[in-house]
Amino acid sequence: MRGILLFVIYQVFMRNFLRILVGVKYINVAELNKHAQFILVANHNSHIDTMALMSALSYSQIKKTHPVAAGDYFGSSPLKSFITRLFTNALLIQRSKNAEGQNPIQAMSASLVKGDSLILFPEGSRGEPQKMQQFKKGVGLLLKKHPNIAYIPVYMTGMGRILPKGERLLIPFDSYVVFGEASYSQTDDTEAIVKEIEEKIIALGVAFQKSKFE
Amino acid sequence: MNLAQFSANKEVTFIILLIIGLLVFATLLFFIWGKLKPKANLIELKLRTKSWWTMATVFILAIVINPIISYFAFGLLSFMALREISTISKNVRDVDRRVMIWCYIAIPIQFMLAYNGCFNLFVIFIPVVMFIFISFMLVIRGETTEIGRSMSVIPTQLMLTVFSLSHLAFLLSLPPIAGFNAGGRGLLLFVVFITEINDVFQFTWGKLLGRHAIIPKISPNKTWEGFIGGVLTTTVLGYFLRFLTPFSEVESLVVSFVIACAGFVGDVVVSAVKRDIGLKDTGTLIPGHGGILDRIDSLAITSVVFFHIVYNLYYS
Repeated sequence: MRGILLFVIYQVFMRNFLRILVGVKYINVAELNKHAQFILVANHNSHIDTMALMSALSYSQIKKTHPVAAGDYFGSSPLKSFITRLFTNALLIQRSKNAEGQNPIQAMSASLVKGDSLILFPEGSRGEPQKMQQFKKGVGLLLKKHPNIAYIPVYMTGMGRILPKGERLLIPFDSYVVFGEASYSQTDDTEAIVKEIEEKIIALGVAFQKSKFE
Repeated sequence: MNLAQFSANKEVTFIILLIIGLLVFATLLFFIWGKLKPKANLIELKLRTKSWWTMATVFILAIVINPIISYFAFGLLSFMALREISTISKNVRDVDRRVMIWCYIAIPIQFMLAYNGCFNLFVIFIPVVMFIFISFMLVIRGETTEIGRSMSVIPTQLMLTVFSLSHLAFLLSLPPIAGFNAGGRGLLLFVVFITEINDVFQFTWGKLLGRHAIIPKISPNKTWEGFIGGVLTTTVLGYFLRFLTPFSEVESLVVSFVIACAGFVGDVVVSAVKRDIGLKDTGTLIPGHGGILDRIDSLAITSVVFFHIVYNLYYS
């Protein structure tokens, strides 16, 4: 049931809305279909980011893919939490360290053990439009625990203009979602993994800009 | 226009068959060329031909099936072109983001005016009404630093995309002229075909004979040889395609010549905008052609010029 709902929202409605009206373009999206289970790691500028990535997934993937979202923001009330989980299939975690209850890494790990995929934004918050912030180390801890699961670096640009933080009016702009090659974490060092991913995303961005500018 | 009427309109049928024939010819040419000389780098030419197939199919279907589809198609095309130009333009401030919504709202209004044939409102809506309105909306935002730049850039973007392409749609709303069969559809096919084939001719002559660059700083590939060769070939072709228009022999020669020159102007104007930003192509939507703007750059000027020539010759 949830699969059908997500399929209707993202494959039927959102994908066409984003591509035709908003102007989102996908590059190398075929990379997604090569893997049954993956962690998408992307830079984050806008609420559009999650929508754009969810719309890129196929029917069989979308049921089993959870964007990881901040519980203190999207789950601040039971209603908000229910709506977020129903419409985006999100996995809500607590960002603050002193939060009671489940450890965020454990929650994500449990979901990976079940065979599900995750969408991670290691920058944490959307930040200033079109600027990348330092990555948080959660993704490194997670990949260290699951070295057999592929991660796919994703570079997104333009979303910060469509719907920047604090804005409510959506304005169409051409924007791009660039998928990188999937790979596996090579080391046991958390910081090294985080750094490697960060560099890969930056490299994707540089290569993309280079292909557009002389 | 249903299919029976369509086949009855010999002029339109002929030009559509001609377009398909040309594409078949180009496809075969590059295929055989590639087989004979495997070393030749034809990837760009092949991609371009493939894109032409898609564009021609969409264009012909929109024209043949129902004129209303054409209005929507041109509306959507100008929407995507405006989105593209507003994305690449680095001259507009972040605070102007919200003002863009009014530009998008102007698109359906402009095409409604074209559909209803309200000529007087149609020609002033964007250059006058929107020009004033956008300036006022920018003032309301309250940020005056470099506001003059935004006041000039945003209306220009609207002019280059929405205003120009809506003239193609308006051709379909022109009342019939006595003794002339092909109608607005014929005029539309004439201007689009002449403009695009002029691009191809200038490109081809430039590749074959090009030596002396016209404006090397803006477009190193634009040469005097390409320009003159293109303009002459286009003018001759326009003479033979005059059955699509109500033009006399002399008129058809002059109009084709003017379109060929105007196409060049549009091309270099958009090229200059791209140079300013340091961009290679304006987008990635059409493979081998860059973005939408790269394909409609010449059309942005020729559509307006052609429309007003026709209007002044036959409707005033």
